[in-house]
Amino acid sequence: MTPSTILRRHALAALARERTIALVAALFAALVLVSAYLGWSATSTVDAIYASATHWFEANGKPVPPNPVTQGSPLALLRNLTIYISLIGAFSAIVIGYRMVETDRRAGVLPLIGARPLERLDYARGKVSALALAVGGLAALAGVVGAATLAILPSVHLGPGDWARLAAFFSLGWLYMMIFGLIAIGASARARSETVGLMVPTVVWLVLTFVWPALTGNILPTAAINPISALAPAPQSAIFDLSANLLGPFSLAEAYKYLGAELMGYLPDGLPPRGPVPPLVVMMLFAAGSGLYALRGCLKLDMTKGGPDA
Amino acid sequence: MPDLSAIPTIALKDARIALRDRFLLAATLALVAAALISLITGTVAMRTDVATYMAAKQQLLALGKSLGSIAAPEFYPLKLMRGTIEQIEIMGAVIALIAGYRAAVEERGRQTLALILTRPLSNWQFLTAKLLGGAGLMATALAFVFALCAVVLALGSGIGIGANDLLRLAITWGASTLYLSAIFAVGFGLSLWLKSPASGLLYAFALWLLVVLVAPQIGDTMDPDNQVAGGVFAQLSIPKAEQTRIKQGFATYETIRNGIEVSSVTKHYERFTFAVLGIKDIYTGKALGPIWADKKGDAWFLILFTLGLGGLVLLRPIRADRLTKET
Repeated sequence: MTPSTILRRHALAALARERTIALVAALFAALVLVSAYLGWSATSTVDAIYASATHWFEANGKPVPPNPVTQGSPLALLRNLTIYISLIGAFSAIVIGYRMVETDRRAGVLPLIGARPLERLDYARGKVSALALAVGGLAALAGVVGAATLAILPSVHLGPGDWARLAAFFSLGWLYMMIFGLIAIGASARARSETVGLMVPTVVWLVLTFVWPALTGNILPTAAINPISALAPAPQSAIFDLSANLLGPFSLAEAYKYLGAELMGYLPDGLPPRGPVPPLVVMMLFAAGSGLYALRGCLKLDMTKGGPDA
Repeated sequence: MPDLSAIPTIALKDARIALRDRFLLAATLALVAAALISLITGTVAMRTDVATYMAAKQQLLALGKSLGSIAAPEFYPLKLMRGTIEQIEIMGAVIALIAGYRAAVEERGRQTLALILTRPLSNWQFLTAKLLGGAGLMATALAFVFALCAVVLALGSGIGIGANDLLRLAITWGASTLYLSAIFAVGFGLSLWLKSPASGLLYAFALWLLVVLVAPQIGDTMDPDNQVAGGVFAQLSIPKAEQTRIKQGFATYETIRNGIEVSSVTKHYERFTFAVLGIKDIYTGKALGPIWADKKGDAWFLILFTLGLGGLVLLRPIRADRLTKET
């Protein structure tokens, strides 16, 4: 067994014992279910509103417009998942990444690991792969619940292409959560106090979710957590054109929501991505940057400090 | 009669520490930045609307046509505060949680809690002082935010603001102080009660996610008008009277949706401040009297929620095994 495999197994075993992680994972699973219910309930309501409006159109001799519900993809039922992955999923990844290093430090394991003939790179590999598996577990959980919901609903019929898109969506969600988990590993490895290790990734997440979209497209915080309102076009103005060009390439949350909407089939027709860089490239660049940050944090980690008073 | 002089002493000591604390200053500046960004981008969007209207007006006049075909937009500067209120709801709440955490950890981390409790001072006096110190801190930070917003509104809206607008901003400041004080109490209480203050902060964040983000988000998402880009009624081009008739058929659904929304204190804060500032269209330009009559339920919820949480923190005794940062 390689050193990084031992460290990965240890990290996952420590995570499995943490009540906080179990709580956050349970919260995430519950919200995935809520998301599926919300999608079904809201879509049924819009459908019923359309049926009611149809009578009025017919009574007034007006042409009946197409039903907005049937125009979209059936996968759009799960559109709230995009938001819950960006909220609870990202937060869970932050907690997992933070605990990954902090647990070692607080339990006094770091000096013991430091005393072994291990490369720091092994430590980084072990932690990052454990994070990838733990976050993968969350994404798989969301995927199973989402797929089961779509399979059970009688009015929903998915083709192989739809299932492939669904799988791609959960892979995208995994990548998004990983970015924040990696930032949390890097921050808790470099932070001088456990609070700063938690606060740095949280502040980055808050800024990217609630402040950046306001700058690039006047998307207010409440709109930023609504799957439809978050995709509103920016006001036609030279200032917003400029801010989208300059800041759009750093708007990770918007890139993720754009790609999520595209995969789930609820992206408004003709809506361009925010800024000149394609959203997938934005996500890849963030993934590479956060990976390097986590790696640097682990490579420079002070292995001499450990125990409750560290 | 208990000696209450220790309460202002401890509260002022907390205020002095908070002023020296660069992290809290940075957090306050972050709130100012978030609030101003939303205000300024809102102003830019409003000016874009004005420019669009003026261009259409010029075009119609040049063609010798009547202006009756385009509605002259009405501009209310306080409506631009929408983004700022939303930033206070979300970012302000995070800052209040952290402030609460730090108020607890500075006593537990420096081992001063045990020392303070050896003094002739009741638990409730100590806790009242900490809560009042936190509320004062929130009030000061928010006063700074609202003063800056008033200046930006006066200069940026192109319309100016009057005494009535300032009164509405002052009421909103009061409501915001109550809201953030309640969140401060959550951060403080959990960080004081749990074995590790960092776990307290973590649980506080989880609660924040549920109360501030998820509950209002569920209600917002269930709104049929938010299910279709641009709104379902707008997309179907249904007249207002017919919209009202159709909505009556979904009264139960609407009751459930509203029930989920009002389970969150954030929604009560938002509804009250949106009404006072005239952000919600039906309250735009309305006098404060009728607004109070309509929204006093939200105001009372906010007041009682804050007092209730404060009371909860005061009633729970400080455990002897929680006097230091780690046990």
